Amino acid sequence: MTEGRNPFADPLRFERRVPECAIVIFGAAGDLAKRKLLPALYRLAYDRRLPASFAIVGNSRTPMIDDDYRARMREAVKQFSEDGDFDEELWKRFAANLHYVAGDVKDPQLYQALREKVNATGQANILFYLSTQPSYYEVIVDGIGHSHLAAAPEGAWRRLIVEKPFGHDLQSAKELNSRIHAVFREEDTYRIDHYLGKETVQNILALRFGNGIFEPLWNRRYINHVQITAAESIGVEGRGSYYQEAGALRDMIQNHLLQVMATVAMEPSAVFEPDAVRDERAKLLRSIKIMRPEEVDLYAVAGQYKGFRQEPGVNPDAQTDTYAAGTFFVDNWRWAGVPFFIRSGKKLPKRVTDIAIQFNQAPLALFSAGGGDQKARPNLLILRIQPEEGISLLFLSKEPGSGMRLRPVSMDFNYGTSFGERSPSAYETLLVDAMVGDPTLYTRQDMVEASWAVIEPILENWSSRRFDFPNYDAGTWGPAEADAMIAKLGRQWRNS
Amino acid sequence: MSTTATVQPERILRDLQELWAKMASDQADSGGVLRACAMTLAVAAENAADAERVRQTVGILMHSHPSRAVILHPDDAGGELEARVFAECWKPFGKTQQICSEGIEITAGRNGFSEVAKFLVPLRVPDLPVVLWCRGVSALEPGPLEPLFPLASKIIFDSSQVSDADSALQFLRRLRGRGSRVADLHWTRLTGWREILAHLFDDQALQPSEVTGARVTFGGPSVTTCARYFAAWIRTALPGTRVIVSSDNGPRGLHSVVLSTASESLTIALGSDRCVEISGRGRHYRSMLPSASEEALMQEELGILGPDPVYDRALSA
Repeated sequence: MTEGRNPFADPLRFERRVPECAIVIFGAAGDLAKRKLLPALYRLAYDRRLPASFAIVGNSRTPMIDDDYRARMREAVKQFSEDGDFDEELWKRFAANLHYVAGDVKDPQLYQALREKVNATGQANILFYLSTQPSYYEVIVDGIGHSHLAAAPEGAWRRLIVEKPFGHDLQSAKELNSRIHAVFREEDTYRIDHYLGKETVQNILALRFGNGIFEPLWNRRYINHVQITAAESIGVEGRGSYYQEAGALRDMIQNHLLQVMATVAMEPSAVFEPDAVRDERAKLLRSIKIMRPEEVDLYAVAGQYKGFRQEPGVNPDAQTDTYAAGTFFVDNWRWAGVPFFIRSGKKLPKRVTDIAIQFNQAPLALFSAGGGDQKARPNLLILRIQPEEGISLLFLSKEPGSGMRLRPVSMDFNYGTSFGERSPSAYETLLVDAMVGDPTLYTRQDMVEASWAVIEPILENWSSRRFDFPNYDAGTWGPAEADAMIAKLGRQWRNS
Repeated sequence: MSTTATVQPERILRDLQELWAKMASDQADSGGVLRACAMTLAVAAENAADAERVRQTVGILMHSHPSRAVILHPDDAGGELEARVFAECWKPFGKTQQICSEGIEITAGRNGFSEVAKFLVPLRVPDLPVVLWCRGVSALEPGPLEPLFPLASKIIFDSSQVSDADSALQFLRRLRGRGSRVADLHWTRLTGWREILAHLFDDQALQPSEVTGARVTFGGPSVTTCARYFAAWIRTALPGTRVIVSSDNGPRGLHSVVLSTASESLTIALGSDRCVEISGRGRHYRSMLPSASEEALMQEELGILGPDPVYDRALSA
């Protein structure tokens, strides 16, 4: 709601209003719906963010009636709500808007049944959510198109949210885009990357462009390198058959981490409007230097933890990368020559996602005679995405006592303690954005294709060779080759 | 945790430091303590009993707006200025480290608030905003709190109990005219109502140009500031629209708002259990009003430290 359109708007105090609509979820009995989507929608209802009239229509192959689906989702919401708030009365009101249509997405009759269900709810606006296996995306979009479900009456809208992975390589991403555009316009297509919905990732823009002190230093002159780490301590946890086809490079780096890198490195947009921000992100992604085939071994490392091949559903000879690391360079004036090291892996020592911006050393080691740590510790700005969301700045300080011994100290901002308020989950943020029609935090076709283009040479190299896997122990920071990769450029990983 | 001190700002600040050192030492084995502070929240309580209520409220507010709280209250017995420091600590769910905010409680004789203003300057947290929360009806008239006003980035009052709405609003306008940023919790209580009314105009469900008149009905023996605010808010949003304010029997506060168009009326009326009933345009539905607890109202106001143009326009109208 903007003040210009509504004379009663009060953006300081009113939340953005979610218009009345039906959300049609394909894959509604799946893991994502149970763990994330329904808990997020319930939480929005708890926070009075949903309109008085709305509907959720779930679809999967499992034969169920509305009440069965409601009972299942009630358990899911109770189990997976992040802060455990469950209000029985609220659930009853929420569940009354929850409907279910069983059917195979390849069956044209399903779409007719969905249309009847949505019509019965009286909703004119429809948000379709693809939460199925990616191999069904095209057939669902075709089904929506052929059944004319995508045709909105005057004044109403149709939007489509597509979960990652968006394609499995550049070519398939282009093909999927083309199929979607046959039914939905680009402005009605919302490719979700839940990392962009995280408060802490959005806060990168606030830190960079809301403050005066960081941006002057945010360039090749002062920044030595950037490390982006997304580590998980767990393994594939029952997702072995999916994961062995994806791998860390496709599952994490192509989408989440390259988007995070784009947020860290993009230029400021002239205005904070969806396409202006996305233009800058896209521009940055297009500026990432594409590796030449002979550079891949130098700048990218694949790893697989010991025991992965013994996971249920995993091929005993799998060549899957459960760890991937890459060195990326940005070919523009701001970043020329500054390496961005990105790594992601499973069964690493702890769950952490952070961005470490390492600044250049002071030009003169004035206090080196005093001993201490000064030479070993450059200034670091650490943006912690999860857990312990916040920002830390490491700098040197004089140790108490005589002499001039320096010691690194940390100045910490902790998101939870400074604001106290609960942060909405990424899915709450992104669902509201899609319903109100704000695509700022969604990826656009050109962004998706640019990020596939960045990792395409690595994918081609890795698919054409046999690795000597496994090559790292669970509980370590990945294969030794990753340490060697970064050491070649005179840096080392922050393994803390 | 608390300690007492005679009122010397340096002494109070030293006591605070000692308090932090002691808490850090006491909690060293269980993750330590983290000091959180985003503003100075000075509260002028009405009396000792009110100060006790304030401490509880501030304890809740600290979780979302960690601050250095300075609670001021008159000593009914007219004694000397006295101060003590305290900390409010909480442990976030699943965390071992305690988060603490600090507080100072100052007792002054009836006429001692002018003295307190001098102490408040060094007791503010440097470079952070100062919010002054003035409690009670008497705060909305010239009096002993005036020396504190220039120190605050924002001053919060509550006009819900005033008997003369016009003079309370005059007082707030004068204060704002002198450059102070003011807020009124009785305006904050209207947020739920206002949001529901604003939503009627979203998605072109109702066009501003269709509205020909409005009636705001409230309960209570005399016109309240909330009725005045609501009417003024409608007038500033829809200039030229005739807005009638009327009263009926029932509890104090807003009872209903009716918007008239050439062909029909849209009504927002108070129902039971903090629900309002919305009817018109062939539809009828209910919506919950948000909590109107003092903590919830203060949370909302502490979240707005910059200009509040919508309130300012309603106050001016």
